[in-house]
Amino acid sequence: MTHEPNDHLTLTVDKFHFAFPKGLQYSEAGLWVRREGNMVRIGLSDFAQQRNGDIAFANLAPAGTALDPGDEVASIETVKVDVSLPSPVKGTIVQINPALQQMPELINQDPYGRGWVAIVQVAGSEQDAGMLLGAEAYLELARQQAEAELQS
Amino acid sequence: MKQKKVWIVPCSGIGKTYGSVARESAFIVTEDLRPATAQIMPLALLVPEDSEARQAIRESDSITIDGCKLACAAKVVAETGGTVAHALQVLGVYREHRDLKPAGIAELNEGGKKLAAVLAAKVSVLVDEIGKERQDA
Repeated sequence: MTHEPNDHLTLTVDKFHFAFPKGLQYSEAGLWVRREGNMVRIGLSDFAQQRNGDIAFANLAPAGTALDPGDEVASIETVKVDVSLPSPVKGTIVQINPALQQMPELINQDPYGRGWVAIVQVAGSEQDAGMLLGAEAYLELARQQAEAELQS
Repeated sequence: MKQKKVWIVPCSGIGKTYGSVARESAFIVTEDLRPATAQIMPLALLVPEDSEARQAIRESDSITIDGCKLACAAKVVAETGGTVAHALQVLGVYREHRDLKPAGIAELNEGGKKLAAVLAAKVSVLVDEIGKERQDA
């Protein structure tokens, strides 16, 4: 079931509810990207954070780290799994979210706000953005993954 | 006058590593560390509407130990009318002891057992504090 309350899409699968802000782009690995001038802010999607579970620790690559798409921008340890988060963009980290050191649970509590992971100075072209999904496309991917997980 | 024992209420958390740590720590407290002043309350006994356990939980303070943020133990005790004196979460204690990474369910790994012991020690201190507060009151 989907509906559009305002500025985001929502998906309900079984007892789980997921939000997908329309203005963001998403990687298939579950990271969101928000354009902020020539930089992007990235974080973990609501679907990805719920799927992975409560986060115990977040380890972020330091500012200054050069990233290609797919390079690890952060890793998280949750009550379920250890997950490597691949960068959705090419660029250099200019800032990481310092709050996650003491409060990694912010990713669970506010994935699109206070739980942001890093700000990256992008070096890629617009073509790289083509690798990212819009909210509707990512919602469909999340639906497939959630339903498959329920059946497994 | 003899005080009522403090209830230790772990989440049911069946099939979950952190739930297993919660239960294991509750057993350590009630069987080994503070058997004279604390007793365990299985969460399942609080669910039936007419259970004696629901009445009993209202008659003493509770320390709840939850394995996840759903906090079933704390919520059920509160909804039953009990007093949640302290609500602990396994994840919070693990964040303080990253070297004690729990794994396993039916049988916890060494890290999980040690984490349960650390958590039990923390709970025991809280049990003592409740006892002291009652004496001072």
